[in-house]
Amino acid sequence: MDSYDVVVIGAGPGGYPAAIRAAQLGAKTAIVEREAWGGTCLNWGCIPTKAMISAADLAAHVRDAAALGVRADNVRIDYAALLAHKQATVSKLAGGILSLLKAYGVTQLRGQASFQTRDRIRVAGADGESTVRASKVIVATGSTSAVPGFLPKAPAVIESRAFLDLAELPARLVVMGGGYIGCELACMAAMLGAKVTIVEMLEDVLMLLDADARREVRRSMEQHLGIRIVTGRGVDSVDAGPAGARVKVGDEWIEADRLLVAVGRRPVTDGLHPERAGLWPDEKGYLRADGRNRTAVPGIYAIGDVNGGPQLAHAATSQGTIAAEDACGHRGKPNEALVPGVIFTMPEVALVGLTEAEAKAKGLAVKVGRFPFTALGRAIAAGQTGGFVKWIADAAGGQLLGAAAVGPRATDLISVAAVAIRAELTAHEVGRTIHPHPTFGEAWMEAAHAVSGECGHLPPPRR
Amino acid sequence: MPHAIVMPKPGQFTEECTILRWLKKEGDPVAKGDVLFEIETDKANMEVESFFEGTLLKILVPVGGTVPVQATVAFVGQPGEAIPAVVAPPPPPPKPAETPAVSPAAAPAAAAPVPAAVPLLATPIPASVAPSSPTAPAAQKISPRARRLSKESAIDPSGIRGTGPGGRVLEKDVKAHLEQRGYARIRITLAAKELAIAEKIDILAVRGSGEGGRIGVEDIRRAVDEKPKVMSRMRQVIAQRLTQSFTSTPHFFVTVPVDMTDLIALRREMKDRGAPYSVTDFIVQAVVLTLKEFPAFNSGTDGRSVWWRSKVNLGLAVSLENGLVVPVVRDADDLSLAELHDRAAALVGKARDGKLAPDEMSGGTFTISNMGMLDVENFTAIINPGEAGILAVSSTRETPVVRDGRIAIRSVMKITVSADHRVVDGSVAAGFVNAIRAKLEDAALWRRLA
Repeated sequence: MDSYDVVVIGAGPGGYPAAIRAAQLGAKTAIVEREAWGGTCLNWGCIPTKAMISAADLAAHVRDAAALGVRADNVRIDYAALLAHKQATVSKLAGGILSLLKAYGVTQLRGQASFQTRDRIRVAGADGESTVRASKVIVATGSTSAVPGFLPKAPAVIESRAFLDLAELPARLVVMGGGYIGCELACMAAMLGAKVTIVEMLEDVLMLLDADARREVRRSMEQHLGIRIVTGRGVDSVDAGPAGARVKVGDEWIEADRLLVAVGRRPVTDGLHPERAGLWPDEKGYLRADGRNRTAVPGIYAIGDVNGGPQLAHAATSQGTIAAEDACGHRGKPNEALVPGVIFTMPEVALVGLTEAEAKAKGLAVKVGRFPFTALGRAIAAGQTGGFVKWIADAAGGQLLGAAAVGPRATDLISVAAVAIRAELTAHEVGRTIHPHPTFGEAWMEAAHAVSGECGHLPPPRR
Repeated sequence: MPHAIVMPKPGQFTEECTILRWLKKEGDPVAKGDVLFEIETDKANMEVESFFEGTLLKILVPVGGTVPVQATVAFVGQPGEAIPAVVAPPPPPPKPAETPAVSPAAAPAAAAPVPAAVPLLATPIPASVAPSSPTAPAAQKISPRARRLSKESAIDPSGIRGTGPGGRVLEKDVKAHLEQRGYARIRITLAAKELAIAEKIDILAVRGSGEGGRIGVEDIRRAVDEKPKVMSRMRQVIAQRLTQSFTSTPHFFVTVPVDMTDLIALRREMKDRGAPYSVTDFIVQAVVLTLKEFPAFNSGTDGRSVWWRSKVNLGLAVSLENGLVVPVVRDADDLSLAELHDRAAALVGKARDGKLAPDEMSGGTFTISNMGMLDVENFTAIINPGEAGILAVSSTRETPVVRDGRIAIRSVMKITVSADHRVVDGSVAAGFVNAIRAKLEDAALWRRLA
């Protein structure tokens, strides 16, 4: 039986960086994957959607470019080529992960991992079965789309993973769930020409955002992309036929070629048998872990979506690294508390740290500095003036506690805000930092001045 | 001539008070009966009204200042009137050797520094433990530049030895201090430094928990939380009184279990008939009756003299959000069960609302401390100075008990008396708690009393 210092189960964005980090620290490391290297993120999540959204976004921009003097009539979508680009992107990155794992000397085991005891793991794959011994185990088995039981099992009712593999774009799409996955895919489909309806049970879509950001995105989705958004009502029932589905929302039946279910994700532990190691999932199926990702069983860690924390690839990567360091005896800091979120809607949205609503709920005294892209030279030049950036700062000392960006390049812009917040900078210091002109990033500097009401590129604040 | 506004004397034993809040500013017009300021005594808070009309010309004692009673705290007069030369408030008078009303006349007052027959919160605090006086500690001599550098560096200059005239701290002294203490090696985030300056935290004394020992906002917040803070007057009095009692009184403790089953049943029966009594009322009554049988527990001693009290003034410890008070039921031995119930309920209610008058908290002869509602098996209490005992009442619990050779489940409550061994012997204490027990277990007695 082969013995390893660290065995990682699951090669998604949490698992494979954990394996690489353990190997960097000198541990004899193996990683087990039953399906596809790179996990949901690379194969059916972050990456393929961005390949497709990039194409859709480009098409939308080209169509809108007449005002900038670019005429591109008859812009058409070659969906097969678009899918080929998506597949090539995934393949290239998957190959990269495999060669990195190899370069770091991580043993790759293909198959379903299941605990036999606390330190023995059986791996059952296409080419047979083996059992390995593991001093430390990092469970990174991720999550999968949750599909409510009342929905019929039919080809027309799909979740995000199947949606990405459709050979053709559905002409009429109903999206159940107005969270970030539902909204991203709805925007993409709409930009590619589909007629899209979003049905969200809560009072608004994207409820994790502050109201001002939500207003901005929703207006664009409805007015610019023509998406119909139904809020405050759920899907009551679905009639699925061979060619499509009829979706009942309140008194209305909505006709659709496909119903995309995006109502949340549930942890994956099937076949893992953690109970044989003495590790019991909670009532929702999560393998709970502490701030250093340690489960209740010594030597077993749980990272990423399966531990019930923020279900974001970059949070899993950070946790995986921290777990690997702890497993290798490097007792470091607990998990990072500051996890940015990015949403590739049209326009893009991103946030990090506290929202205004959270600050209010916590009873914190904060000041907000907001700067709209309509007042930014670079944005006007690019013809992309929708949206704004804003800082949420401590009212007394000006410490930056949160930031949000809506509009062009918001998902890239948020990184610098994350650095500033983690470094505990103040609004004053960011305002004094010289930002290059003319760039979209200047908006952060202007918004930092606006925190104290001293932004010279905005009219004086009304009293 | 402006009128001097003086610190009132809110209670017989109160010698100094702290200003909590000024409701008028200098220059504000003042009418007779206007509330000028609010004070905190060692027992309660109260508002002080003006006896004069005019303008508040000058405030001498700021918020937080503590001064002896009768000291001038402000002047009210006509605008423009000259304010008399401000005389520093006199120091609190030397602590009088109190002679309790019921102590023998022969008690050697001078040799009896332990205050006698007054309850927990009624003894004046010796000047040595008096908190913040209105004048700050002798100001350090420091140059403006040195002060500014200290502030900008988020450090505390008070420990720096000055090299200027008369020991004045100069900028170069601060610089030398920073260098000697390795200030340049400190890593601190910008927000953390802002916070340290605002909260007057010396960052030289803060350990950073960030990467490479960098000081972050959390570290400063922790330092703010851990900074020593002056306790409230109430807590200071509690500390002083309980330390005095616990270190100078030889305590011993006797516990008995009381079978409350029958009394609880009786009480339920009475409640259904509309009688208001709580179990606590029965306990209070049982203690009052028993004190008459065991006068040693209603006495007091300083170790040289002993004084017996003819009346029972029963203290009831009431816990508040941040401390406790002991309202006293006077002449409890003259009261019927119904009167005891009414008086105790009224006093406890006033205590919870912070509305007890100082004299409602003094003169106790014995105290009950009831933790029945706090789910405890048993505890011991500290005797209030000047008293000979205190009864600790714990929770009533379903308990297996041997009765007539069988195990039965009964509602059992433990009571523990703390006794001052100087006046109470072990057998007396045992007799005392057992006498209380016998009363509480005697349902017939309560049918008679209620």
